Amino acid sequence: MFGPKVKLSKELFDRVRKYADIAGYSSVDEFVSHALEKELEFIGEADSEEEIRKKLQGLGYLS
Amino acid sequence: MVVTLISGILKRRRFAGALIVVSGLPRSGTSMMMKMLEAGGLEIVTDGERTADEDNPKGYYELERIKELDKGGDKSWLGVYRGKVVKVISFLLRELPDDFSYKVIFMRREMTEVLASQKKMEDRRGEDSQTEDEKMADLYKNHLWRVNYQLKNSKNFDFIEVPYGEVLEQPGPWARRVAEFIGGDLDVEKMAAVADPKLYRNRKRA
Repeated sequence: MFGPKVKLSKELFDRVRKYADIAGYSSVDEFVSHALEKELEFIGEADSEEEIRKKLQGLGYLS
Repeated sequence: MVVTLISGILKRRRFAGALIVVSGLPRSGTSMMMKMLEAGGLEIVTDGERTADEDNPKGYYELERIKELDKGGDKSWLGVYRGKVVKVISFLLRELPDDFSYKVIFMRREMTEVLASQKKMEDRRGEDSQTEDEKMADLYKNHLWRVNYQLKNSKNFDFIEVPYGEVLEQPGPWARRVAEFIGGDLDVEKMAAVADPKLYRNRKRA
């Protein structure tokens, strides 16, 4: 309950609260935790930076 | 009212002498915007290394040194270009040093159009992309979210988002908006005349 806090803009927080409700999450905390877990899974799996870098090098936009 | 006035003055002071940066994903209209700003009267920084070709018939307006920003090292050389226009792809925005301020014109284009245009470019260059379009679109969307966060939350960045398709449909109003964002006395009519619908070759079909 008194763990680390994360700062969000009011605009984003309002949107998060709205969609957490629509999607049936019991709280904003639950929705945010789930979303972050999914994102971390995606980042780890895709090694996204490297894939974008390769793409841009192939196109001649990075050395 | 007073607060708005003061914050406006402080902002103008912070961004006086800023580097003007044209950014976005590759193939989102960054070269067109460079040409618009040149026509408007701004000094463009380019080394002419990458010359015009079928993908960019009017030229790339790039500086090779910028492409090495992510390799680290001294970046103070960028200071020479304050008040001038440089092209920095979205991937390299985070590599810009905090020592300067930046006014960023960020080009937006439909993701399907960006990917289609990049695919054509890869084909011409004989490159074989290992990543499927759907996955690449997800990667780019995530990347753009992070870039947007940086632009919104970094004190030394001021930015305007410019939709490529709309510029081609309404060049006048968009040229005016961009000129107002940059400030100074730009030739809006000449800027608008640059937007060339013939370049809109990978348009999304409705």
